[in-house]
Amino acid sequence: MSELITLSKSNQRPAQLRQEDLKLQFSERGVKELDALISHYPNKKACILPGLWLAQREYGGFLSGDAIAEVAFRLDRHFAEVEGVATFYSLYNAVHKPGKHKIEVCTCLCCHLNGAWNLRDHLVKKLGIRHGETTSDGMFTLEEVECLNTCDRAPAIQVGSNYYGPVNEQQMDELLDTLRKTEESTVVQYAADVVKVQLRKNEV
Amino acid sequence: MSRLDSAVIGLGRSKLPFSMAEYKLLLEHSKDPTFRTLDGYKAKGGYTALTKALTMERSAIVDSVKAAGLRGRGGAGAPAFLKWGGMPKEKKTNHYLICNADEGEPGTFKDKELLENCPFLLIEGMTIGGFAVQGDVGYIYIRAEYMDGAKAVRNALDEAYAANLLGKDILGSGLNFDIEIHMGAGSYECGEETALMSSLMGERGMPRLKFPSAPFPVVSGVFEKPTLIHNVESYSNMPFIVNNGAEWFASLGASTKNSRGTKIFSVSGHVNKPGNYEVEFGTPLRELLELAGGIRGGKLKACIPGGSSVPVITAEDVDRAILGYEEMGEVKSMVGSGGCMFFNEHTDMVKLAWRSALFYANESCGKCTPCREGTRWMVQILERICRGDGRPGDVELLKQVASQIDGRSFCPLGDAAAWPVLAAIRVFPQEFEYFVEHGKSMVDSIPSLIGVP
Repeated sequence: MSELITLSKSNQRPAQLRQEDLKLQFSERGVKELDALISHYPNKKACILPGLWLAQREYGGFLSGDAIAEVAFRLDRHFAEVEGVATFYSLYNAVHKPGKHKIEVCTCLCCHLNGAWNLRDHLVKKLGIRHGETTSDGMFTLEEVECLNTCDRAPAIQVGSNYYGPVNEQQMDELLDTLRKTEESTVVQYAADVVKVQLRKNEV
Repeated sequence: MSRLDSAVIGLGRSKLPFSMAEYKLLLEHSKDPTFRTLDGYKAKGGYTALTKALTMERSAIVDSVKAAGLRGRGGAGAPAFLKWGGMPKEKKTNHYLICNADEGEPGTFKDKELLENCPFLLIEGMTIGGFAVQGDVGYIYIRAEYMDGAKAVRNALDEAYAANLLGKDILGSGLNFDIEIHMGAGSYECGEETALMSSLMGERGMPRLKFPSAPFPVVSGVFEKPTLIHNVESYSNMPFIVNNGAEWFASLGASTKNSRGTKIFSVSGHVNKPGNYEVEFGTPLRELLELAGGIRGGKLKACIPGGSSVPVITAEDVDRAILGYEEMGEVKSMVGSGGCMFFNEHTDMVKLAWRSALFYANESCGKCTPCREGTRWMVQILERICRGDGRPGDVELLKQVASQIDGRSFCPLGDAAAWPVLAAIRVFPQEFEYFVEHGKSMVDSIPSLIGVP
């Protein structure tokens, strides 16, 4: 056998499920909201992005293979197509399961000039995790992100739907404490917000 | 018409003397929370433009866009008329409007403020557009990070629907027009108009073939239908053009060669009062810096005047630069999207070039080879230099790689990646040479400001 084949790793993502094996998890409300979102577009394909946001909410912040399969099933698209879309965009958590709160530190130009690296190093030290990792208690995920476009408030960070900035190390610690006490996952809350703003008042 | 005369007939404009060089047209009421509600917006003269537009001929509105000399505010600065006038006059199929609110250019945050504080300007502007080009549905593509802006637009849309300013038979004119919000999911590339349309159609946000290889979006855009696509700021100018007339709009910025109206500049970096400042075209760049409270932490060293994609200019050029699409060309830079970053003397240009290159490497969609491979190569070379392991000839190599990306990529992202690096080498060659030779920066950075990545 060619070495090329033995060298390659098997895809660790779950394979596409057959329709009868699908474990559909969308809530009744989620299905209704998806129908409303579909009605905004001339075809179902265009609803893949909103559908994935909806799935991210319904599946607790992580787009697992099951979640992608369900979106594909409900929109009559192929699994591979939807997976391709989900892995392209950085705000879909399709590769790693995020913690309860995702802390996104902007390190782009203006934040780079205004101490974002110090803030990141502080977080790395404090949480014991690096870019893209999650704390062992599943509480925080740390990510360095590209421009959040709030350069007037550099260094800025995003947690869920909220921007914070300018943030110093002490404010960061306070924010971490507040987040620890927050019951709800800001990752799920964020996805819920994104779905909500796309729906009209009478569609909610 | 003099500037003060024109101010009197402006949409709810105050007659107070102008403070400094600011000319607040779009942002005039941005600090007023009631401006985000329909009642507050109407009290400031809102929706008079739509009422007026609905009594006008469609072609008259399109002509006024031409006469006003409005240019796209997204970065390229193409005349808006090319799009408005290019839409089919006879409607054979659905027409779409798209608002590009996927603002991702580092240094720019003007659309954020417009979405959060002036959502009705955008909605009214889009509705006028919907009438003028016979649109059926308008999509506002907002980047998902902008939740505050998206929420403000959602509330505004709901209010507009309730008041029959959107939906079926708008204000009894027989016009049907819907606006939907479509949230992105984190991709800089989706700010490019064809990539945005891919993303709106439920695909990976990759750019599509452009004219002349493919028809313009106004012929075949989103869902293969005629599409009018503009930036938030471009649409937000429409109520003023309709209300006050194209001649009035064209009188703003008349001192410049071909830039009309006002432009919002997002000033950030080492300035005392970062924020959005709206100025008339033709204002000196120096005045913008003064508006933002001047430089902090040292002397002015350099400026990137229009978002990270545009070439960097020196402090001397800041003194003579005039804000205008053609005028900025004289200092070998561009107005771009208006993300104006000022840097003080402690800024290391090599590290800045590295961070800029890293941004484009991260955000390259991977479709074409020059951009996908070139941006990564540039990061590798710059990282090597920043580590202190620079090899002789690295600067030449970097120049070569960057110039091979420039003009050879599928979409402008490649050019945007190459320009800042090429400009940094052109403007500050000694810094690059010093870093390669000595393995350390010639700038004494302030440690508290710049950590080592």
